Amino acid sequence: MVRVSRALLKDGGLGISKTLSEILVCPLSKQPLRICEERNSLISDAIGVSYPIVDGIPCLVPNDGKIIDNNDMPKPEGAVDSPDEKGMSRGSV
Amino acid sequence: MAASSHLSLRPLPGQNRPIFRSKCRPVRCADDRQALFNRIAPVYDNLNDMLSLGQHRIWKRMAVSWSGAKEGDNVLDLCCGSGDLAFLLSEKVGPNGKVIGLDFSKKQLEVASTRQHIRSKACYNNIKWVEGSALDLPFSDCYFDAITMGYGLRNVIDFRKAMEEMYRVLKPGSKASVLDFNKSTDILTALIQEWMIDNVVVPVATGYGLTDEYKYLKSSIQQYLTGKDLEQLALEAGFANAKHFEIGVGLMGNLVATR
Repeated sequence: MVRVSRALLKDGGLGISKTLSEILVCPLSKQPLRICEERNSLISDAIGVSYPIVDGIPCLVPNDGKIIDNNDMPKPEGAVDSPDEKGMSRGSV
Repeated sequence: MAASSHLSLRPLPGQNRPIFRSKCRPVRCADDRQALFNRIAPVYDNLNDMLSLGQHRIWKRMAVSWSGAKEGDNVLDLCCGSGDLAFLLSEKVGPNGKVIGLDFSKKQLEVASTRQHIRSKACYNNIKWVEGSALDLPFSDCYFDAITMGYGLRNVIDFRKAMEEMYRVLKPGSKASVLDFNKSTDILTALIQEWMIDNVVVPVATGYGLTDEYKYLKSSIQQYLTGKDLEQLALEAGFANAKHFEIGVGLMGNLVATR
């Protein structure tokens, strides 16, 4: 049953619908999320965390979030570079 | 992040006895529960049918009815598991409505998603699955027209926070319908419930290699809140109205809380 599920989801692409992405907010900051298609993830710019999308399902348990390294992640249009905070490291929130 | 948290309920004005819980819930933390629900995912539906003799389907229809969900609504099913309530909600809200099924178990969501694709009804296209925590909902305030939660609240590590999050994401005037085992204050009902778990549920689960997972059921009911406690918790979380209904000869209960 799970194999069928994965096959169907793979054929349908890994992303989520625009409608769903507009409904969802960051579980921690409750601020809007933006889709990062390159990384197939949802970005909370408010707290600098990214949440993965796996098999079309957004993973928004706080533990799923990873702190973004500013030098790594593509930014939205018009965004200004901000300095890395000392001591901030990648990893689960 | 998954550390267990304590719950304390402030007494209502005029109430002498505060309802409080011990600092550490002696059962498992959130990570353990997440792993448990991942493990039982492949047989969850079959066991539900077997153990309740199919009655769970009736209770779930009642829960959906109590939620007040109607055509065109945006609704949320919390701790959706393999999707039973989400599918019922999907039929209620129709193609112009939207259903979000949220669960912290990837495996349960995989089963739910597969069932969605296998079923032929076009209206099920209105369901979206989200992996998330009932304690930190990834939704804006006042978004949903109805919430259901079936056999989920008992499994969260912080009842109060879950109740507050349900309140936060509901539109004013809308309802949360929370179905679960009833922690009965009637001694006979409690004994029958315990006997059934010990002598029916656990032996059947053992046949699937899930003895410990279903033994957890008994301790989770012991740790749960009575109907009156649930009503009080809902009121403390901000709900304007809360009523707990006993169903299934008192073995099950459904809280209906109105924002």
